[in-house]
Amino acid sequence: MSEHAIQLTINGRAHEARVESRLTLSDFLRGDAGCTGVHVGCEHGVCGACTVMVDGAAVRSCLMLAVQANGAAVTTVEGLADDDGTLHPVQQALRDEYGLQCGFCTPGIVMTLASLTGATPATDPDKVMNALSGHICRCTGYQGIRRAARRLAGLAPTQGAPTHG
Amino acid sequence: MDDARPAATTGRYIGQRVARKEDTRLLTGRGVYVDDVGVPGMLHVAFHRSPIARGRIRSIDLSAARALPGVFALVTADDLARFKVDMLSFFLAQPVVPVPVLANGRVTYVGDPVVMVVAQDRYLAEDAAGLIVVEYDEEDPVVTLDDAKTGALVHPDTDSNVAAATGAEELDEDLEAALAAAAHLETLAFRHQRISQSPMETRGVVAQPHGSGELTVYLSCQGPQLCARWFAQALELPQTSIRVISKDVGGSFGLKGQPWREEVAVVLGAMLLRRPLKWIEDRLENLTAANQAREQEITLRAAFDAEGRLVASHADYGLNNGAYPQGADSNIAVMMFLWGAHKLPAFSFRARGWFTNTVGLAAYRGPWAIESLAREVLLDRAARRMGIDPIELRRRNLIRRSDQPWTTPMGLELTDISPAECLDVLLQKVDVAAFRAEQAAARREGRYLGIGFATYIEPTAGSTGVAVLMSESAHLRVEPTGTVTAVVSTHSQGHGTQTTMAQVIADRLGVPYEHVEVYEDDSSRGGYGSGAYGSRQAVAGGGACIRAADLLLARIRESAAHILGVRTDDIVLRNGVLHVTGDKPQTVSLRDLADIAYGDPDRMPDGHAGLEAQYRYRPPPITMTSAAHACIVEVDAQTGFVKIRRWVTSEDCGNMINPAIVEGQIAGGLAQAIGSVLMEEVSFDARGNPTAVTYKDYMLPTIFDVPEFEYHHDASMPSQAEGGFRGVGEGGCIVGPPTLVNAIADALIPFGELELELPLTPARLLAHIEQRPEIARPKPAEASEAPAPAADAPADPVPVAAAAHNVPAPSAPQEPFAPASGARIDGGWKFVLSTPMGPQAFDGRLATDGDQLSGVFIMNMDEAHFTGTVTGNQLKWDLKVTKPMKITLKYEAVVEGDTLTGKCKMGVFGSAKLKGERVKG
Amino acid sequence: MKPAPFDYYAPASVEEACQLLADAGGGATVLAGGQTLMPLLALRMSQPFVLVDITRIRALRGVSRSGATTRIGPVTRQNEALADATLQQHQPLLVTALRHVGHHQTRNRGTVGGSIALGEPAAELPATAVALGASVEVRSVRGTRTIPAQELYFGPYATALEPDELLTAVDVPEWPAGTVSLFREIAMRPGDFALVGLTGALTVADGVVTRAGVAWFGMGPTPIKARQLEAALVGQRVDALDAGALTELAIADTAPFDDLHATAEYRRTVGRRVFAAALGEALNLRKAA
Repeated sequence: MSEHAIQLTINGRAHEARVESRLTLSDFLRGDAGCTGVHVGCEHGVCGACTVMVDGAAVRSCLMLAVQANGAAVTTVEGLADDDGTLHPVQQALRDEYGLQCGFCTPGIVMTLASLTGATPATDPDKVMNALSGHICRCTGYQGIRRAARRLAGLAPTQGAPTHG
Repeated sequence: MDDARPAATTGRYIGQRVARKEDTRLLTGRGVYVDDVGVPGMLHVAFHRSPIARGRIRSIDLSAARALPGVFALVTADDLARFKVDMLSFFLAQPVVPVPVLANGRVTYVGDPVVMVVAQDRYLAEDAAGLIVVEYDEEDPVVTLDDAKTGALVHPDTDSNVAAATGAEELDEDLEAALAAAAHLETLAFRHQRISQSPMETRGVVAQPHGSGELTVYLSCQGPQLCARWFAQALELPQTSIRVISKDVGGSFGLKGQPWREEVAVVLGAMLLRRPLKWIEDRLENLTAANQAREQEITLRAAFDAEGRLVASHADYGLNNGAYPQGADSNIAVMMFLWGAHKLPAFSFRARGWFTNTVGLAAYRGPWAIESLAREVLLDRAARRMGIDPIELRRRNLIRRSDQPWTTPMGLELTDISPAECLDVLLQKVDVAAFRAEQAAARREGRYLGIGFATYIEPTAGSTGVAVLMSESAHLRVEPTGTVTAVVSTHSQGHGTQTTMAQVIADRLGVPYEHVEVYEDDSSRGGYGSGAYGSRQAVAGGGACIRAADLLLARIRESAAHILGVRTDDIVLRNGVLHVTGDKPQTVSLRDLADIAYGDPDRMPDGHAGLEAQYRYRPPPITMTSAAHACIVEVDAQTGFVKIRRWVTSEDCGNMINPAIVEGQIAGGLAQAIGSVLMEEVSFDARGNPTAVTYKDYMLPTIFDVPEFEYHHDASMPSQAEGGFRGVGEGGCIVGPPTLVNAIADALIPFGELELELPLTPARLLAHIEQRPEIARPKPAEASEAPAPAADAPADPVPVAAAAHNVPAPSAPQEPFAPASGARIDGGWKFVLSTPMGPQAFDGRLATDGDQLSGVFIMNMDEAHFTGTVTGNQLKWDLKVTKPMKITLKYEAVVEGDTLTGKCKMGVFGSAKLKGERVKG
Repeated sequence: MKPAPFDYYAPASVEEACQLLADAGGGATVLAGGQTLMPLLALRMSQPFVLVDITRIRALRGVSRSGATTRIGPVTRQNEALADATLQQHQPLLVTALRHVGHHQTRNRGTVGGSIALGEPAAELPATAVALGASVEVRSVRGTRTIPAQELYFGPYATALEPDELLTAVDVPEWPAGTVSLFREIAMRPGDFALVGLTGALTVADGVVTRAGVAWFGMGPTPIKARQLEAALVGQRVDALDAGALTELAIADTAPFDDLHATAEYRRTVGRRVFAAALGEALNLRKAA
């Protein structure tokens, strides 16, 4: 099995490492870089818990090899809040809206939302909401996640009056 | 609405939507889940698992795996033989069949762990696991419930595949007559698919041996206190040597209530190898080798009079226990709550749990939930066939608050359930008439809308009959720094108990919420509690926090009064500041008081140092939560897809600690309900191979499958528990499925009565719409079918029985009574009764005087005396018990030599097997 | 769920990549976006000796035009393709199909060529390539050849690509003005593979169907080209189409199967409806235009 020297930045900090070819990016981020906020929920790309930003785009870190991140800028959930502890707007919105319970799927959802919101011009709200179909949450029934995402996408937190009765 | 309804109360923090304490760390990736734990020298575990469902292990070749660099050890059942292990149930009862930690001679399901591989990292461990060669003599597996009834024995040393049984083997003639004579008889038979609990964090453990025989176990679980106790009892180790730490846990839903085979193997491996070991279950393992739930069949018959009032009902129920259930189960709670909120004069049932060559049964949110599904679907069908509005049919049969107290045929004593009142509120929020008009208009356009209703009651925070669930503890102290630390026996896998317990404590004490920190993650701190189980934490943990806070507040006020020379009554603690009223108004910070309490105790009352209090709270035996839900769906008749358009909830959850957390529990349960109705299914092929082994095939609901929920708490009434709280952990998962099924069935009524085959996938719904027969529909056994000869029927969970002087439970006699003359009866006996919680052992004495029998059972420092009759070597006696309900236990036994064999009839709960062995000498 | 060991190479050129594939003697697998391959590796359902990561080959990335053909570099990420102005203008069906591929997060890594080269029968892009009459350029140390998409697929994940061959371009003919798209996907959840998928294009000139390309996904062991339908459509006047007869022809070439999520009968039934609805909508759009 081949080994490879890689250089990348993780949350703005330069990292160098030697990695085995088969090491996944998620395992590298957790084990070598100490970013244990990267959660591994399924290791086959469905649950979305391991989502991180690679060069600004939300990707499944379980579906990438660490060696493939050579030269990339990786952002994990640890890299969003300010040094003084001020939460990123995505984190604050999820907190305000009770968008998490066990917190295991949360880092992935945070990263997807952070990659799509807060930009100028604003991302199409539909795109934000559709991107959430790539995350499984078993606890919340998505109620707070949806409210937070809608707010972040510039929509009202709930869809409003019922259509019946 | 009931006139005497006390208003739900709120306080400064109790009842408020306070931000969760857990969220900051979880949102920033700073939580500590078990896979985030690493210790020096830690090695990694993977399992080589059986690829077949049933067979004998002929040989195990470890040579290739052993030769792989980086492999530290390969552990088989033989290597673990030096350890004595009893794989206890959640109730800490002995298993009905011995559960090997690793497969020992036989494999009993696909995924059965055969060899534990210990290696430098998980990658290498999996490499090695792939190099192990096991030869099997494969046998035909017993996969389905039908297989279990007719197939080979799953466990060759047992005498039937019945893992557990309750209820009457024979049909009750009077009940049958009542069913036959009634104006309307409705029968519903269906099968519930198997469900994977699927917490987003899989199971996992790090076991670290250290010191002399000490062990720290980092565990993804539902409660570190119970799991530490479990390890201590199952492994017969002193509890002090086992410390279980469980910080953040990524969901559980019943799966992680107790350690199971893999976790135990890792703990034993760490002891054997004297190295820290880590095993993190991967998703493939989680979907194939972690215990599962819900595979059930039920035939429910209910008879109504001409006005739609219930006359009688009978249920025949089967539950797939798999090969090694975490407690063999026929699930008496299904029967307890099937008609638990209804005015039903007569009810009888038969319930059996079956062994199969599939992965074992574990709990899943609302393990008895099929009772609500069966009842509510049957009520809708009956209503349609009788031409009565389904809401009206419910109202005619539900027990209202004004009807209570009420005792059900199952002995359930109801004092404050309110599903009917919840339904009243619901109907204020949902305009059914307007919906029916819209539905009619839509049908004319070829669109199919439907509305479904369901009500339910849920037993929460039970503290009766189950020894491990009696109480929770809270240890509180004001720290020398003036903040408050609480160590509580609650535990969160998403429940937010660090938040809710802090709210309760801060509110009750009069300190800022931010000044209260709650710890619940370490068995070495605080006291025993079961953690998250049975929707208990708000009620039992919250009650403990209230009582402990009251004690602490009294200590604070007395101390301050003593120091300041004022009356205790003149002191109020508000927002962390002691306010002295009366002649000498002043304020003192809690910090200043703490300085004295810890640094200058001579100034304290009686010279005692510190500001601490603890309380162990036992909640009322059962705290009932009630609810009524409605949902509106549209079914696309072209494709069979269901769109949920609206979902309205109305519940009586008592006083709420945090409405946002209450709603989160309801919503999470409803999402799981939607999953089980529409898409989730653990399936097997005929050889017992699981066929949905990834999240591509085991489908969980996404954000697009779960609608916005509307919540109404208007019917809520404080409970009898401290704080007036009621549990809400499981309800959504119980009432959700019938609500959705009824809505879908209502939508599709133009195509006929929907046959309930779960999950209701688009293909199945379209088959109904198109009336195409090609989709196979399993036919659950009819109630009239001759009962399979179940000679042996051990345990199963009957709260009743367990509490009955800490004894009984059900099962049939193993052998016919055979008279033998001259048997000696008098003297001491050691008895084992197969109770619902597993076999229970106790001592007893029997004495005869002619044909008169007297005796006593002795257990847990308690004695139950009885008298009866003797005929030859045959004994009969009755034992009346009052807890948790009044019931007369009827014993029959026969003595042969030094053994006694018999049974205990427990009224509607069926019978339990009794065995006795003479105490020699 | 950790991949078995392999050697990893990230060649910078197509020549280098082809040499690596040749040297591996059939033991190599090409890694593009990895969104399908990585799960197969994690499950150890795929255990190559050598992984050749082609995403560093700049020449294989991007969209260009030549004559009436759009050329898509195989390692163009699906989300890049989705946002590509050339594709939006000249390959509207492909863009519609791309919107249904996986999830936003997987489209950020997944590539157009990877999806087409793998040949998942329920995936959007292989069927769309078949429907539009695309072809793929394939290179190896033995040379370069072109394979029409409709000849590419033999079965689930079984293609005409030899083990030493690398897909180096996807060439999609640009359909003329007056072309309308047919696209429908029925899936259990957003991002899932299709239970029933229809993709295609119709060109109408002077009220007559002049060109038709229609394919199914999730309706057989490969993308299914609706040959009988295409033959029946071409040359017909739009206002004289027999929708019922066409619907039967539309599914005539399919070979759906039962699986965990739907029956073959479901797929056929819904397939008919999906086709009828898509055809009706396309022709109405055409009229309105």
